[in-house]
This record gives sequence, structure tokens and C-alpha cells, in this order.
Amino acid sequence: MNSAAADEILVLTNVESAYGPIRAIRGVSLKVRRGEIATVLGSNGAGKTTILKTISGILDPTRGSVHFKGADITAGDPAAIVRRGLVHVPEGREVFPLLSVRENLLMGAYTRRDRDGVARDMEQAFAYFPILKERLHQEAGLLSGGQQQMLAIARALVAAPELILLDEPSLGLSPRLTYEIFEIVVRINRERGTTVLLVEQNASMALNVADYGYVLENGRIVMEDRCAVLREKEDVKEFYLGMKAGGVRGERRWKKRKTWR
Amino acid sequence: MSGLWNLATVERRSGVLTPGDTLPQLFLNAVAARGDAVWMREKKLGLWRAWSWREAAVAVREIAMGLAALGLQPGAMASILANTVVDWVLADVGILCAGGVTNGIYPTDSASQVEYLCADSGTCILFVEDEEQLDKLLAVWPRLPLLQHAIVFDMKGLGEFDDARVMSLAALRELGRAFDAANPGEYERRCASRGPDDLAILVYTSGTTGRPKGAMQLHGAITWTLRQIGVHLPQVQGDERMCFLPLCHIAERVLGAYSSIYSGAILNFVENPDTVAENVREISPTVFFAVPRVWEKFYSGVVIAVKEAGRVQQLAYRWAIGVGERVADCVLARRPVPQSLRWQFRLARFVALDNVRKSVGIHRARYLLTGAAPISPDLVRWFMALGVPMLEGWGMTETCTVGMINRADAIKVGTIGPPIEGVQARIDAATGEIQLRGRNVFAGYLNQPEKTAEAIDADGWLHTGDVGEVDAEGHFRITDRMKDIIITAGGKNVTPSEWENELKFSPYITDAVVIGDKRPYLVCIVMIDQENVERFAQDHDVPFSNYASLTRAPEVLALIQREVDKVNAKFARVEQVKRFWLLDTQLGAEDEELTPTMKLKRKLVENKYASQIEAMYRA
Repeated sequence: MNSAAADEILVLTNVESAYGPIRAIRGVSLKVRRGEIATVLGSNGAGKTTILKTISGILDPTRGSVHFKGADITAGDPAAIVRRGLVHVPEGREVFPLLSVRENLLMGAYTRRDRDGVARDMEQAFAYFPILKERLHQEAGLLSGGQQQMLAIARALVAAPELILLDEPSLGLSPRLTYEIFEIVVRINRERGTTVLLVEQNASMALNVADYGYVLENGRIVMEDRCAVLREKEDVKEFYLGMKAGGVRGERRWKKRKTWR
Repeated sequence: MSGLWNLATVERRSGVLTPGDTLPQLFLNAVAARGDAVWMREKKLGLWRAWSWREAAVAVREIAMGLAALGLQPGAMASILANTVVDWVLADVGILCAGGVTNGIYPTDSASQVEYLCADSGTCILFVEDEEQLDKLLAVWPRLPLLQHAIVFDMKGLGEFDDARVMSLAALRELGRAFDAANPGEYERRCASRGPDDLAILVYTSGTTGRPKGAMQLHGAITWTLRQIGVHLPQVQGDERMCFLPLCHIAERVLGAYSSIYSGAILNFVENPDTVAENVREISPTVFFAVPRVWEKFYSGVVIAVKEAGRVQQLAYRWAIGVGERVADCVLARRPVPQSLRWQFRLARFVALDNVRKSVGIHRARYLLTGAAPISPDLVRWFMALGVPMLEGWGMTETCTVGMINRADAIKVGTIGPPIEGVQARIDAATGEIQLRGRNVFAGYLNQPEKTAEAIDADGWLHTGDVGEVDAEGHFRITDRMKDIIITAGGKNVTPSEWENELKFSPYITDAVVIGDKRPYLVCIVMIDQENVERFAQDHDVPFSNYASLTRAPEVLALIQREVDKVNAKFARVEQVKRFWLLDTQLGAEDEELTPTMKLKRKLVENKYASQIEAMYRA
């Protein structure tokens, strides 16, 4: 295996997934390099969440393969995939509302046997999210949306992941909270060296924190590049960042045709 | 259930369907004869809405009078910048009935092209489809002093916009109603103001080199051509037709819109260019004109569907199409079709061919008409094998569409047929150029007397620029465009379009340009069919992310190599293509590389991709 391939912690090749007769992703090939934050941008229904579900084994692809750290994990058992070091933070947090914060975190450590390590990682999670320590014995369902999102990320951290799949962490959060959470995601990435695959609708935020980006439309990748480059692309500006030239009349309703170059 | 052996339904008929030597006369006579019958249909919010002749006549009258109120003088120019929609046709006929001249502008043209076309044609009034098109005009309007007014078909998004020079089509019609009431007899006077020798429409040729040239067509030439079209391409009131190609192009304008005024065939407008395939199935036209690109798309759709079908279906299709081919062979060789083969063909239709026809939407079609670009003979044979006669014709902007056409009872695949009745054609002995003389030849290029003199000689022969040959029966065959002929470094003359057309027959290839003038061998730039190549990549687990990576995948290159090899096998050594390169950007109608009819522009592509071409010669 050459060094470039060794760098690639996650490789998807021609993955197709379907919900019954509806093909949600239609041949997606993407790579995530070790230590980077990669992002998949796309509008509602583009297939972003489906990609993550397919990677973490919740959904079995109809075609294609998923490789994690060089091993084939296509359609693998989700728990086994977590043990390999790949954790999924689902859309809409999905914390266990009737369990306490502490119990929620212990659920994240379900696959681990080394109690010392779990305790260490839990402390580390509290360092990132001090509020969780204050609410340690409170039921998770009573936390605010932002706190629940923090809990979901912390729960992922106690599984000691090498790669976190992060699905729409900004969902339903205020811009300020969104900003805070993204800041912590970047810190986790830089300090722990955890690779992150981020799926976001908030394109401007995602492009600012991520290193490499893919644009997904109708279940297909139409563009990929370093985020610094993507931010400058005309189509990304107009369709994802909401920046458009006003035109001759100073207002413009019509949309130009996407070309993705 | 008839077959190809009985082409009585396509028989030529003479006699004038609708009299009139100018387009306004023709339209008035058509309305008088057809009244409440349906002329056009358009789909709005998912529902088809019909326009009767009478309704259309009211709209046309109001538009014409509105233009008169705005000061459009007889003989003055008005342009239309819009997609193919009902309002386009109404505005066009409205301009003509006001005594004006209509010029069409492609909706894919850029603001600077709009500026050039408006300035060159001397446009006084411009019709635009919507705010998107209006924005192009607003960007260049300060440099167009002649242009007084803009009329917008669709005012969505312009509610806040206020400019005295811009009004909606509805407002124009209102203005026209008032003007008409105040000036009785003016409409009739305007309609009668034009004679057969007056300019009717201006059609800009796409111009692969240099600026587009505005070809002038007179009322008399158009109405004469319409009568000839009526003879060779019979259609009657109630025939269902599709209107979907750009109306600025002479083909859809004359063969589609005007010939439906002449014959009474119903024009069905597609929703937008992306829904053509679905709309064909919905409308199932009885007479269907399209360009080769559309036929290629239909064919590759069927080929791919068969590939994905079950074993039994595949066998059924192969057997059925085989029977169809044998019938087509008999008909093309003008041998009687044996009774046993007729029975087999009936079975073949029942087993597979009828379904194929339905899946395309041509199950009601009496005949298909192809033109505007060369078509692969194999493709014509395939449609014939389905049991639908396909007539290949030839024409150009300068011949007011059809100049030559295959007759249904004497189809010769690979030829463009003999000239239409009343048109003479000959081949220049020295150059091999096809030359044409007849009433349908255009009146010259606007503002360009030298170019006109180059095109029409002193004796009235039109120099078509196409090189070809003629057989004993008078069927012409085009070998290439004169300026496209390649002379290799070895001194061999090669006509690239034959090779290109064979390659385009592949479902994986949309268009190709062969290059090799003054070069040791031929190379080729290929534009892949995105949909089908993507499907191929999926089926064969070829990883790709976007279009560019698709064109670089080794498996895709191997696939195209196989297609190239297949075509090469049909050609002599010097005519074979040694290397190819896949265009790595996905092109759309807005791109300069494509003509509005989605053909690659040879010269432009050659210049733009010079470095890639050089690389093919270095490798």
C-alpha cells in the first residue's frame, strides 16, 4: 500500500443505497484522509445522511464498497464498525432522553472494556463540554438542544473514535451555538487528531471548518475540491453560500443553470 | 395493422391546403377555414391547455395592433428572445400581421450576442420571455439606440420593476384592443401591406466561424416552400405534432409552426427542453420531425433498456428487430415483402416492436422526418425496422428548410433524396459542391452583399458548401461540408463527418470532431453521453466522482476505445482515427463550443483544445 492510500482512512467506491425502490445515492465515490475534516454539502434529500448511514452499517448499500483503514466494512455490523474506531453522530442528536448524561456517555463506551480508558476519555469530553459535567445526573431529555448536541458528540468521543461521522450538528441551533459547536469540533480534530466527516446544510460554516469538500446533488457527487477552492466556485457561491450578483436591476429571481466547473 | 410495405398513408398529394402568398394571408385564411378547431396545445401546471384557431387569431390581432400603437411600421424589424413557447408563435404571427419582420434570438445567447443581433438586424421592438432574458437586454440596452420597447411574456419577478419602455404581453394586447377599436380597418390594411416579394423573417445562421449572418426570407418564398412541404410531407388537420426545437432555427419555424398554419396540424409544445422524452410519449405525434441527436437519444435509450431487460425479453427483442430488418431490407430494395414475412412481422410487432415504439412515443407516427444534421444510416434502418418509415431530408437556412427529401415510396438510406418539386440541383464538376436553384432560395444576407454574392451566383444557383454526389435515380448524397474536408499530411482527402456519424451511433457518444488537416494521422475529440457512460461506470464498478473524473477513468477510456475501434473497422486505413481525447467539461447550450442545436463547433473546438490536440500527436 503506498503512502497516499495509507493516508486514506475512509474510501467509498461507487456506493449506491436505496430505500425500497427509491435510490437515494446513485454511485458515490469519496475519500477521507487521516486527520482532516471532510464535508459533504448538499440540499435536502441530496443523500447526505444516507451516505453516513451506509458507512456506519445502519443501511446496507445495493452496490459498491466501503473501506475503513484498509479493511472492507461494507454492510458490516454497526457495533463491529464502532469497535474499529468509526462512530456516527446521527442527525437530530438521538440522545437517550430518560437516561442521565452520565448514563448516555456510558452507552457511548458500550463497546469498550478498558474502564480506565473510558474514564480518561470521559474527562476529556468534559474538558470540551464543561456544561455536561454540571448536568451529569440530569436526564438527557431535559437538556437544551445545544446541550443535547454536545452530549451526542461527547458520547461519540468516549468510544475513542478515529473517525467521527457528524450529521448536521447545526440542526435547530442558534447561529451562536452552531459556531461554538463547530469550534469544538475543530479543536477535537486538531487536538485529538480525530478525522471528521461532516455533513451539513450550513454550507458557509462547513466550508470554513473543513479541509476538503464534496458537493452532492441528487445522489451524485458533482464537485469536489479543497474547501478554499470550493468557496470561490461560482456555483457554490450562488447555490450554497447565497451570494449572487444582483444583476442589472439590482434584484434577480431567476437561477442560472448549474454547471459545476 | 399495416407495415412498411404499405406506405399509402405517406403518399404525396398535390393541391393547395390553405391559399395565401404571404404569411398574414395564409394565417387569415387558416383561421377562416378552421375556426374553433385546436391549433396549439401547451402544458401549464401539469395540464394541457388548448388554443383554438379563433382564440389565437384574437391574440394575434391584439398583438399586431399593439405593435402598431407602439409605432412599428410595415417593414420594420422586431425580434423574439424566448424558448419554444406558444407566445413565441403568437408574437411572430402578430409581428408579421402588423407588417413587420420577425427575427428570432436563441434564449441561450449571451447579452453581447443579443446586442449584436439586435444591432445588426435593426430591431425596434424586442419580445423577451421572462426576467432572465430581460436582464440580458437591460445590460446592453444603452448601446441599442434603435430599440424602443421590450415586451415580456412572463412577468414573474418583475412586479416591482418599473421602466416605461418595458411592458407585459398582456399590457400590449390591451393596448392593441384599444388601438384596434379606435382605428377600424387598420388591421386588415396592415395584413395586406406585405406582398410576396417583401421580407418576412430574418434567420441568423449559427456561424461556426465569424459573426452570424442574417439570412433574409421573403413571404413568397416561404409560402411556396410550405406548399412543396405539403406535397412531400403530407399532414392534415388533426395531425399531432411536437413543437420543441428552437423556433429561431429555420426548421422548427417553417417545418413546424408555419407548416401547421398551412396544414392545420396541431402543435404540441413541450414543457421544457428536458422533458422532451416524456412529452413525446404523452403526445405520441402522428408526424414527427426531429434532429439526429434526438433520434440517437431514443435509440440509445432502447439499447440500454434492452441490456437491462431479462433474458426472454432480450431474445424477443432480437428476434423481432431481426424480422423488422428483413422487412426493411425488402422495402428498401423495393422488392415485395413475402406473405410469410408479413405474418412474422405482425407477430414481431405484437411481441416486442409495438412496445419499443410505445416506449419511444412513435407508435402513432405515420412517418418520421430527420434533417438539419447528418444521420447514421444504421439509425435510419433501425427506425425502419420498427416499422416506421423515416424520411431523411436536407436543407439549410438559405433554402428555407427542405431542399431535398427522400420520398416514402423510394427511400434510399444514406442519401438525402432528390430535390423537392420545383427545385433544380446540380453538382459542380470542379469542386463537387452541390448547387441549388429554386423559389425557396433565400434573398441574401442582411447588410452583407459580398457574402450574398459568394452564396448565390449570377445565374441564381445557391452554393451550398456541401460536397456530394448524385446517383442515376437522382438521389443526392452529402459527403461533407466543403470547408470541413481534411487533407492529411500524406495528401489524402478525408471527409470527417462520415466517421463522426458512425461514432455518434454509439449510445456512449454524443458528438465527435475528427481532426487531421496537414497532420500525419487523424485524431478525434469525443463528447461522451453522460447518462449512459455514468450507468456503464456504475454497472462495472468504475469509481468516479464528477464528470471530469468520469472522462479520465481507464475503464471509460477503454470503452470509448472499443467504440472507436468498431467504427475504424468500417474505414480504410488512412481514414481511421488513431487517438482520441474525451472532452472533460460537461457542456450545455450556453457554452460557446456548442451550436444552439447542440452540435460541436469544429473550428472553435479545434482552437480551444489546441493543446490537447497537440498532445495526441506527441504521445
